[in-house]
Amino acid sequence: MSELAHTNHTEKKDFLVRSSSLKDVRSFCREVFEKLHIDQSLKDELVLAIAEAAQNIVKHAYKDSPDTEDKMVVQISCKENKLQIGFYDMGTPVDPGKVKHREIDNVKPGGLGTFFIQQIMDAVEFKDGKKPWINHLVLTKQL
Amino acid sequence: MTYKIEEIDTKRIVHLNGEIDMDVADKARQTILPLIEAGHEVHLNLSKVEYMDSSGISVLIESKKLSEQKNTKFELVEVSKPVEKVLAMARKFL
Repeated sequence: MSELAHTNHTEKKDFLVRSSSLKDVRSFCREVFEKLHIDQSLKDELVLAIAEAAQNIVKHAYKDSPDTEDKMVVQISCKENKLQIGFYDMGTPVDPGKVKHREIDNVKPGGLGTFFIQQIMDAVEFKDGKKPWINHLVLTKQL
Repeated sequence: MTYKIEEIDTKRIVHLNGEIDMDVADKARQTILPLIEAGHEVHLNLSKVEYMDSSGISVLIESKKLSEQKNTKFELVEVSKPVEKVLAMARKFL
């Protein structure tokens, strides 16, 4: 990672809550990480974690509203070597106690996305969404 | 995501291309599972896949499980670096 990654920087963008938006979420993240000069390997991991979190919003918070016109916001901030990624949505409230990856001996694919997020990021925190937001997820990673 | 299917006797080589995420996982599923369902030995080439997330891994797991039920083979023959990395992470979990 270059020293330029230490630069303080914040960008955010909104996306329709649809699976078809996930490609745009990844493109946005790649563009921001390019500006931060984050190396390719870490960039790939971060993009995966962010895309999995965005996917969880589509898949779970909007499970019953596949045709919603609501938007989710992804905010990427880098300050003092700490990368913070915020997700805001107005879907069904998330119960943090139920967000976990499945047991290791239960061979089903479900929960793998959450496992990826936990493997890649240093911290995963659900905060109270301030109006108009319902859910506010924050992922952090020390660079 | 695009795909191409090569037929060699009863073997089917499926080449996937592009990015495999939740948006296209069903397309991948509908490409692979019917071949296994029909009893073909399926070899999956992922050398041109630039990105794969947990949705893509789910398709691989479902394909493997179905092949076991159908007593046929499902194998990965080539994988790109990004896919190998995601598979390595998934192996810690599976």
